[in-house]
Amino acid sequence: MSTSRGPRPAGRVALVTGAGGGLGRALVAALEAEGWMVAGATHRGGDFAADLADRAVAERLVERVVARFGRLDLLVPNHAAMGMAPVDAHPVEDWWRIVDTNLSGSFRLARAAAPHLLAAAGSIVFISSEWGVTGWPNASAYAASKAGLIGLTKALARELAPDVRVNVVAPGVIDTPQLQVDADAAGLPLDEMKRRYAAAAPLGRIATPDEIAATVLCLVSPAGAYYTGQVLQPNGGTTMV
Amino acid sequence: MNLRADPAVARGQVALVTGASSGIGRATAQRFAAAGYRVAVNYATNAAAGEALAHRIGGAAFGCDVSDPVAVERMVGAVEAVLGPIDVAVCNAGFYEERPLEEVTDELWDRTLRVLLGGCFHVARAVVPAMRARGSGSIVAVASELALIGGVNVAHYVAAKAALIGLARSLARELAPTIRVNIVAPGAVDTPLLPDRDRGPVYTSTVPLGRIGRPEEIAEAILHVAEAPWTTGALYSPNGGVVIQ
Repeated sequence: MSTSRGPRPAGRVALVTGAGGGLGRALVAALEAEGWMVAGATHRGGDFAADLADRAVAERLVERVVARFGRLDLLVPNHAAMGMAPVDAHPVEDWWRIVDTNLSGSFRLARAAAPHLLAAAGSIVFISSEWGVTGWPNASAYAASKAGLIGLTKALARELAPDVRVNVVAPGVIDTPQLQVDADAAGLPLDEMKRRYAAAAPLGRIATPDEIAATVLCLVSPAGAYYTGQVLQPNGGTTMV
Repeated sequence: MNLRADPAVARGQVALVTGASSGIGRATAQRFAAAGYRVAVNYATNAAAGEALAHRIGGAAFGCDVSDPVAVERMVGAVEAVLGPIDVAVCNAGFYEERPLEEVTDELWDRTLRVLLGGCFHVARAVVPAMRARGSGSIVAVASELALIGGVNVAHYVAAKAALIGLARSLARELAPTIRVNIVAPGAVDTPLLPDRDRGPVYTSTVPLGRIGRPEEIAEAILHVAEAPWTTGALYSPNGGVVIQ
């Protein structure tokens, strides 16, 4: 949380989940730099501690934020659980834990936030993934959850229009600690994993968290005012659809 | 090899169709049987319809709620015992209910995800080991055009169908080259799930082809992608031109 500065978003309040992760920290910093008051929720503790795998948590979290700041203008469900395994070797409970944390957790946040966002003419930016667009081997739970967020975006963009805009960012590979999961699944050192991802992108590198946060910022700035139901794909050109 | 061109080739192959007691699933079971498959007709609750259809098309009926992974494993075992190894699995089971966002309860959300998405995940994890061992197999996920374009009061349904597409695309990559996985995303089709609103001229006048689809037309698409030998990870959307992208 910080106090506001900057003219346009002054007094506007954002809730960002997964705020302790690589992208989450960049999102909080980028929004605060633009003058947003940001409630950053993490599963590790702090003012807005929240484990979104717990189904009762989303509603309480939104209530806490509104109680503290008096309003909610932007929801960025950025928390995610990641895990990789072949579909027939993936423990069923773990498969559903990933889907429920990422997709159901984001849905419950949106459902709880909707009345406040409608009152504030606010916005939702979901965080999907390039893998949600393309699918990915041995990541069926993660990819399904992230693809589901794209569907959820389009449905809510229609349902909450014209007062609330709903968009989704589907980033390519970002340089965050989460890449260790990919490296472990591939049996590669982290640096080699990063090198291979970079080589696969036409732009020849993976993204920085700041670049993805900037895409989110664009969607909630005047430049993004006519976007709703859209999938923005900062991915270095890896996927072109 | 185009199996469809020669029904004799397909004869003896086994297709499992979930949610086959009515609508698109029923038409799909009939179409596969006509193409020479022995068809496992899955139903959740309507045993009479499932049994009658299975009897009529020379298949066998299997009652099972696809949201239950243990029950699905048991069903797949039973299908293989009764009909033989499964060559094609059509993940079609679903239901459709419109509800504004604030009225989508946790129960409805979970049930939608467990049936529409879980139905395919549970079937895939049950059929994949034997398909892999035999060196071939085909899975078709039945999604919806709404997964592509969204809709009002259907956030739960659209999210589940979109997640199903993500699952199928992942499986297409993961299981290649042995098992092909494709998606059929129908538009509004004349089934018991279709709201009356979509049968009238107000809706059909917005469909470029001027009408809703017939279940048989979707069944034809499902059979085609199930058998198309160089097609995997594809999304085929018979929708009368509602989605052109």
